[in-house]
Amino acid sequence: MSQETIKLKIKRQDNPRSKSYWQEFEIPYQPLSNVISCLQDIQKSPVAANDLGVDPVIWDCSCLEEVCGSCTMLINGRVRQACTALVDQIEKPIVLEPMSKFPVIRDLMVDRNRMFRALKKVKAWVDIDGSQDLGEGPIMSDHIRATRYTLSECMTCGCCLEACPQYTKDNSFLGAAAFSQVRLFNLHPTGAMNADERLEEVMGKGGIADCGNAQACVEACPKNIPLTDSIADISRQTSLKLLKDLLLK
Amino acid sequence: MAKINQDQAHFYLLKINSLLGLVPIGVFLAFHLGINSLRTVGPLQYQWSIDLINNMPFLFGIEVVFIYLPLLLHSLMGFYIYFSGKRNVVHYGYPRNWLYTLQRITGVLIFGFLIYHLGTTVVPKLFYGKHQFLAAPFLMDVMNAEFQTWTGRIIYLIGISAATFHFANGLWGFCVSWGIIIGRNAQRNASVVFAMVGLVLTVLGFATVLEFSLDPVPVTPTVGG
Ligand code: HEM
Ligand code: SF4
Ligand code: SF4
Ligand code: FES
Repeated sequence: MSQETIKLKIKRQDNPRSKSYWQEFEIPYQPLSNVISCLQDIQKSPVAANDLGVDPVIWDCSCLEEVCGSCTMLINGRVRQACTALVDQIEKPIVLEPMSKFPVIRDLMVDRNRMFRALKKVKAWVDIDGSQDLGEGPIMSDHIRATRYTLSECMTCGCCLEACPQYTKDNSFLGAAAFSQVRLFNLHPTGAMNADERLEEVMGKGGIADCGNAQACVEACPKNIPLTDSIADISRQTSLKLLKDLLLK
Repeated sequence: MAKINQDQAHFYLLKINSLLGLVPIGVFLAFHLGINSLRTVGPLQYQWSIDLINNMPFLFGIEVVFIYLPLLLHSLMGFYIYFSGKRNVVHYGYPRNWLYTLQRITGVLIFGFLIYHLGTTVVPKLFYGKHQFLAAPFLMDVMNAEFQTWTGRIIYLIGISAATFHFANGLWGFCVSWGIIIGRNAQRNASVVFAMVGLVLTVLGFATVLEFSLDPVPVTPTVGG
């Protein structure tokens, strides 16, 4: 009996310091499957084409509906979420690699800590009550609410950084996602009270001036976040701050 | 003024670099190509424009402060920026990513071209002491000879295209990185306008090359000689 199968070529790495190598897998075709379900099938019986009984392939996932960002990897050379990469819609054999801009933990699992450090650096939050109740915050217009909603959909997946030519493993570029979060929190009427602090964080090495306007980030973002609008907007905010600091301080 | 730290210095240098690309370098490029295209009106008109420039007071100081130093700084920063990123159009071939890559490649091309261009014009002019009214006949002889060969013509056509592209695309980058154009529509409309600017400058440059190639007339000094 001949059964339809799916071939996968996976770039593997046993630990953060070891060398990567390629392995090929063949699994039975199932209609409506996605890359995560393929990886689950491999896990059930981890047999590579050239090697019997290999370690199962490791990957990261959580929500399975493109809202958590943890399953981000290179699929056929392009960065995207594995959970929404439908087998019927992509080229085969399916080539899977970990993202190249983050340290590999194992196989397809990477450490995206640099992104979270960037969010901390730019203070991507709204300061609320401290030791005493500060009362109600100012009202937000619906227009700003709508803009902020779009920006708030960022899931820190890293697609924008993987596609960005300025974001490399050996520099300190903060990247489009962090700049967009500065815009998000500077747009918040209460968050705006700390706007200057956030701007100061992006007016240094790895900051907004390091962006080369290649605009690959906005093309790669699965959430369609208007990253290049955010970058230009933060550019304007920092330019005005620069002028203010030079002339009025 | 408060002392600035290394982080701020990095930011200010990139901002200054961006500004230098526009003024004085970009403005110089536009004037340079514009004035050169006077050659298409006639050799005399062209000669008078060179006479005017070469009889300016403090010419050498002006050239150093407003052209050579800014160019040198912009080039050094340009190479620094070039090596700070890793081009990836092969995998992410979006139009803007192509322009980003071309901005860097043309920067390097211009750097090479300028070494050649200055080496065949300003350097021998200063070496042989061809000042004031003696400059025009000397420089026009150089250009006439330059455009008699296809090698010369091609070097100039590439140098000019690289510079006009780099300037036009740089104008767009300048407007985005200073926050002058923000929205998607504004960015698209601006790229059309700047493409026109680039096209006009390219036409001026090419017309000059064509005129020199077709009609290499020598001139005698307007005064003295
Ligand atoms: C005729 C000479 C030149 C002119 C008119 C010129 C003009 C400009 C302008 C207007 C910008 C835009 C700045 C911005 O993006 O904010 C720019 C950017 C740039 N220039 Fe030049 N430039 C020249 C020569 C060079 C040279 C020799 C290099 C050396 C490699 C270079 C490398 C760059 C790079 C890499 C950028 C990108 C900066 C960025 O996008 O952040 N340029 N140039
Ligand atoms: S515009 Fe280009 S350089 Fe800037 S963050 Fe996006 S991809 Fe990176
Ligand atoms: S901006 Fe888009 S691509 Fe970048 S991390 Fe957020 S969701 Fe992912
Ligand atoms: S598992 Fe959450 S985005 Fe794919």
